[in-house]
Amino acid sequence: MIASLLPRNLRRTLAGQLLALAIALALGSIVILMIDENPLRVFATLLRGAFGDSEKIAGTLLQTTPIMICGVAACIGLRGGMFNVGIEGQLFLGGFAAAWVGFSFALPPVLHVLVAMAAAIAAGAAWVSVPAYFRVRFGANEVVSTILANYVAVLLTSYFTIFLFKRPGGWSETPPILPSAYLPELFSFSRLNIGLLVGLALAVATALFFRFTATGYAVTMTGSAPKFAEYGGINVRRAGFGVLVASGAVGGLAGGVETLGVHHRFMEGFAPGFGFDGLIAALLANGSPIGTIFTALFFGALRAGSLLLEVDTTASREIITVIQALIILAVSADLLLRRGGDRTGGRRWKF
Amino acid sequence: MEVLATFFNVGLFVATIRTTTPILLVALGGSFTTKAGIFNIGLEGQMLIAAFFAVIGSIWTGSSLGGLLIGVAAALAFALVYAVLVVSFRANEVVVGLALNILAGGMTISLMKAIFGTRGSVVGRGIVGLPKVQLPGARDILGPSYAQLVSGYTPLVYVAFFSVPLLILFYARTRLGLYLRVVGEKPEAAETLGISIAKVRYVASLLCGLFAGLAGAHMSLGYITMFTENMSSGRGFMAVAILIFSAGDPLKVLAGCLLFGFADAFSLRLQILNFPSYLILAVPYAVALLALFALSWRTRPKLIRETLETMRNALAVSPQDRDDRRPADNRS
Repeated sequence: MIASLLPRNLRRTLAGQLLALAIALALGSIVILMIDENPLRVFATLLRGAFGDSEKIAGTLLQTTPIMICGVAACIGLRGGMFNVGIEGQLFLGGFAAAWVGFSFALPPVLHVLVAMAAAIAAGAAWVSVPAYFRVRFGANEVVSTILANYVAVLLTSYFTIFLFKRPGGWSETPPILPSAYLPELFSFSRLNIGLLVGLALAVATALFFRFTATGYAVTMTGSAPKFAEYGGINVRRAGFGVLVASGAVGGLAGGVETLGVHHRFMEGFAPGFGFDGLIAALLANGSPIGTIFTALFFGALRAGSLLLEVDTTASREIITVIQALIILAVSADLLLRRGGDRTGGRRWKF
Repeated sequence: MEVLATFFNVGLFVATIRTTTPILLVALGGSFTTKAGIFNIGLEGQMLIAAFFAVIGSIWTGSSLGGLLIGVAAALAFALVYAVLVVSFRANEVVVGLALNILAGGMTISLMKAIFGTRGSVVGRGIVGLPKVQLPGARDILGPSYAQLVSGYTPLVYVAFFSVPLLILFYARTRLGLYLRVVGEKPEAAETLGISIAKVRYVASLLCGLFAGLAGAHMSLGYITMFTENMSSGRGFMAVAILIFSAGDPLKVLAGCLLFGFADAFSLRLQILNFPSYLILAVPYAVALLALFALSWRTRPKLIRETLETMRNALAVSPQDRDDRRPADNRS
């Protein structure tokens, strides 16, 4: 069954991604040389920072969790032909909503977590529903509207945090959430929590949904061949709206997991870039939720490794975003694909 | 009334012109790619990388012109990579654009740390800003308070605003402008005519890089001479929003950019009234979103559009025309 969840031409895809990875690492080495560092030393430090000991591995998994959940959110969108670039904003709003439920209400332990998560999911879904509506009803480009919505979401949550719910005497952060809303931790030595398992379950469930249900097939067809889907009797608009809202809901969930599991409060600059990393992970996995587990792990390792990079070398941790961007550029070129004779500009939409 | 007077004065219009300039430059650049049928979401990154290299260049060469040229060269390099991937390798333009934006963000921060040893921003250190152009005679004719409306800007402000009529002429009157439009609107026709679609799209992409580079240089060498992490802060995306609803027409681009420039300048003024700064900072993005949504109705509901058109036609014809109109001569 697991084999049937993987993309059919797995070998070609894997070979292509590995070639792209090699090219990206080569280009990344050039950039690292440009900033006067030794590429081998940088990569070794990254590896050591990511997998050096059990605490470091737990740290990697901790970084992987939000990237994986955001990646699943992006996969849902990509399957339905929608570029949800607004996962970052949905993550911030979901994180804030979960924190708000966490510190303002006193509920019994398990219920508190569930209610806070529900609030996070609702916040993410609500935030994306406006761009989604205008996308399916009027064709307003969802890439641009969700990107712009990100900026508004980040500023809005900062406003909530600093002007409405600031912890007295603290930094720019909300009061801590009540312990009843904490996500259970997996190990004693790390903040790694069951959010990781939630993410894994979500990825597998999404893959199963797309592989084995009629609705999943309808959504995939809406994304890859909208005319065919419409001819087949699918309400393409409703499918598109549903896809974006589901994607936003999962993005909000990622924020909730981050708040309840890791920070236990909401603060300014909370979880920066996880939404984008998730999107990149999903793109690298070619829209496959199972593949996203591994690409998210890779990016989580890069992130965890970059923390040590900043300590041990003079390179800044943003060098990993350079490497990530280069990987995506190399993958997007899809070097192993033979190009046909269609020169009138019909572009490949991979998903 | 006094409050209104502090808001709406010459200063506000001068500020609007200043804030409009970078977004106008980058949007005009994007108009080339939009007309050529490429959805270029990578404007943000081109602007950011240009802003950074303009600062580096002005320190190295000790002149603002040198900074400008090096900044534009960096943007052109990004535009070239974009064109190679999108046109030659036929990669997904959104993916490539977003990846280049991320690359620009990561590269500028990494290089800033490597070269200057700091995080956050680069100020001073011998950055030479662009000179201010004082138009001779403006003070005498318009008086000191109105003279600042037309005089005392950096050269790029004039470049931006004079580019609008030039671009209109370019699209309407030149061969390359025509080719660009054909390639964008009907690639099959362009192919039949023997126009090389790839070549035209490369040219469009590089022209776009040129303008995005100017916009970036204006950001870091114009009214403030510094570079800050992610200083383009979404202006490239606002430009893309403008390009979507203007379809790349220079006049509509100008109108859209003036709207955002005004929203930007106005929101800065709102800070006088002690509004929470986070909400004020969100105003330009919210305006961009609203404009994108409000203007998207044009593209979709055929019913409304057709109703409006019939009504306009009905109002346009004179009464006796309508009387003797028969089904036979239904020319429109």
